[in-house]
Amino acid sequence: MVKAYRQEHIYKHPWERVTCAAWRKFADPENKTILPHILDVDTLNHKLDPSSGKLYTTRAITVHCPGPWFLRRIVGQDICHCLESTVVDAPSRSMQLTSRNISLQKFIEVEEKTRYDPHPDNPAEWTICQQETSIRIKPLSALASMAEKVEQRCADRFLQNSVKGREVMERICKYLEAESGGLAL
Amino acid sequence: MREKKKASKSSSSTSPCLLLRDAYHNCFNRWYAEKFMKGHWDKQDCVSEWQSYRACLSQHLEDKHLIRFLEAEHNVQDGAVASQ
Repeated sequence: MVKAYRQEHIYKHPWERVTCAAWRKFADPENKTILPHILDVDTLNHKLDPSSGKLYTTRAITVHCPGPWFLRRIVGQDICHCLESTVVDAPSRSMQLTSRNISLQKFIEVEEKTRYDPHPDNPAEWTICQQETSIRIKPLSALASMAEKVEQRCADRFLQNSVKGREVMERICKYLEAESGGLAL
Repeated sequence: MREKKKASKSSSSTSPCLLLRDAYHNCFNRWYAEKFMKGHWDKQDCVSEWQSYRACLSQHLEDKHLIRFLEAEHNVQDGAVASQ
């Protein structure tokens, strides 16, 4: 069983600014109160390919994911490490992120693919963000009998969090816009 | 105060690297916005910030899956730094 959904959002900011915000979204300490489920973000790995203008980054994202008591009893922990791999292709203005869980893999697999591209209607000033999420409870795990419920619950939680995540993104974009305006003038 | 609360809640293994992490991420954000986004992708800045931060991570990172990615990085980084 897999629970999958897609989301799309248009930022009325240029791609360069939106991808700057994407890096800061989880890492800036001032967002901790709005995104309390993000406990830590560590960069594990980065590589710049100077010939192609591609930047590859791997980050560890530590998420607090408390479930109901019966889930906690089965799973035994409410902290989950996720691995996020990002490729930014600067010459062609694309950013692609893939996140998946590293912890709790015997129970659940979550994969989130996100991409930021210039919006086709206004590529210089707008950015489109497309996100695909899939949640799968492992069929033979202790959670299998309630897989559908758990998957739905996860999906609900992720959707709530992604609304907050977009708010944070919009705020950082505004801040960066003001900052660059001040510098440019 | 925030750090204290956070440490007790998450007991994160990489908390000792917090300052080095912030220094690296701040440097990275500046490089990304001011250089990489403006077409200067010939080299990556923040090398010393990254080395200090990474050394701290390799000491404190507990999750063995994550350590693997940090170790895998070693070769990549050596290759990247060698060209400087």
